[in-house]
Amino acid sequence: MKLVEAAAVILVAFVVAPAVRGLWVDLPSTGTKCVSEELHNHVVVLGDYHSFFGQNDDVNYTVSPSISVKVTSPYGNNLYHQEKVSYGQFSFTATETGSYTACFTVDGEQHGGKTVTVGIDWKTGISAKDWDSVAKKEKIEGLELELKKLEGIVQAIRDNMNYMMSREMDMREVSETANSRVARFSIMSLGICIVTSVSQSLYLRRYFRKKKLI
Amino acid sequence: MERGGGIRCRGVACAVLTLLLLGPASRVSGLSITVNNLECLYEYVFNEGDSVSGSFVVVDHDIFWSSDHPGIDFTITSPAGDVIDTLKGASDGKFDFHAPKSGMYKFCFHNRHSTTESVSFYIHVGHIPSEHDLAKDEHLDPINVKIAKLREAMESITAEQMYFKAREARHRHTNESTRRRVIFYTVGEYLLLALVSTLQVAYIRRLFSKSVSYNRV
Repeated sequence: MKLVEAAAVILVAFVVAPAVRGLWVDLPSTGTKCVSEELHNHVVVLGDYHSFFGQNDDVNYTVSPSISVKVTSPYGNNLYHQEKVSYGQFSFTATETGSYTACFTVDGEQHGGKTVTVGIDWKTGISAKDWDSVAKKEKIEGLELELKKLEGIVQAIRDNMNYMMSREMDMREVSETANSRVARFSIMSLGICIVTSVSQSLYLRRYFRKKKLI
Repeated sequence: MERGGGIRCRGVACAVLTLLLLGPASRVSGLSITVNNLECLYEYVFNEGDSVSGSFVVVDHDIFWSSDHPGIDFTITSPAGDVIDTLKGASDGKFDFHAPKSGMYKFCFHNRHSTTESVSFYIHVGHIPSEHDLAKDEHLDPINVKIAKLREAMESITAEQMYFKAREARHRHTNESTRRRVIFYTVGEYLLLALVSTLQVAYIRRLFSKSVSYNRV
């Protein structure tokens, strides 16, 4: 009896736990809903998604709607594409810097007017790290593992800071070139204006002299 | 909430508790979503008293020459239906509150204008084990509370970084748009100037040409 009870509890946990973790987004009945994130190179992304009917706490786990999922890279490469599924997982490592998009579309009209909701658990960088395998490999557990996680977070903060500093440097270059271009092009524009008007006047004077009007 | 001092946890309940509580505290969502009219996101908070913090930054796409960004309305609703926080006409914002009860919290973005806006948001739900949790689970050390507090402090740094990153992304879009506009409009200006001046000259020549009228001018 205890075993059956335990099995039931574990089953419920496995069903309920992924369902409530993650962000819930309502899908429109037609069209696509996309979520994206700007990532830089070498970032690991882990995504879990599951679709269901209902909003808020009014969830119905017996029937699952089918959706199609597409994950694309900033240059348009298809990283993950599944049709007619109701839950799944994808993972990839970012190879290009830019905006990575995951798009969800509801398949067909089988929902009969009810709102389809997708639960997305999108983890990047340090949150996508598999601490269980690290614990097994380095044979650490408990407090040591917790402190190792903290160390990982600190490292991630440092990496983020370095990345933002390099981005700020790029942006500063762009700003400074735009600044110098504005000055340069405006003066050039003034010069061209003067040259044009002088050449116009000279040309017309020559023309009228040729026609013996002056 | 982090697991207790050792992996000596016995029983199914502990496994279930761990499964349910291990995930949420370490979850970060730093996503961008497009808002046409109304967009609502839901996040589940497991324990009452959890700190929910986050930020959002709006990137307006189609603003042409108005420098006044219309912004977006942001509302947080608790599972009971009360509005916890609301921001009107904001182009970016931060929020931080302790969940009054556990359940599904709703974060809504309302776009009053016809232009599509894309919002980059970040939500973090953090849990620090309280005295009650310490009493319930005998494998939980007081040091776990300190570790959880330390972790929450670092997550708040991460939250600030995500906010800064989103604002920097918006600034970068503006800068790149400025650079493109500088080139596009000045080159266009030069070409147009050349065209207009030749047309002017051609027109005046035509006025003085013999075929139009001989002695009019």
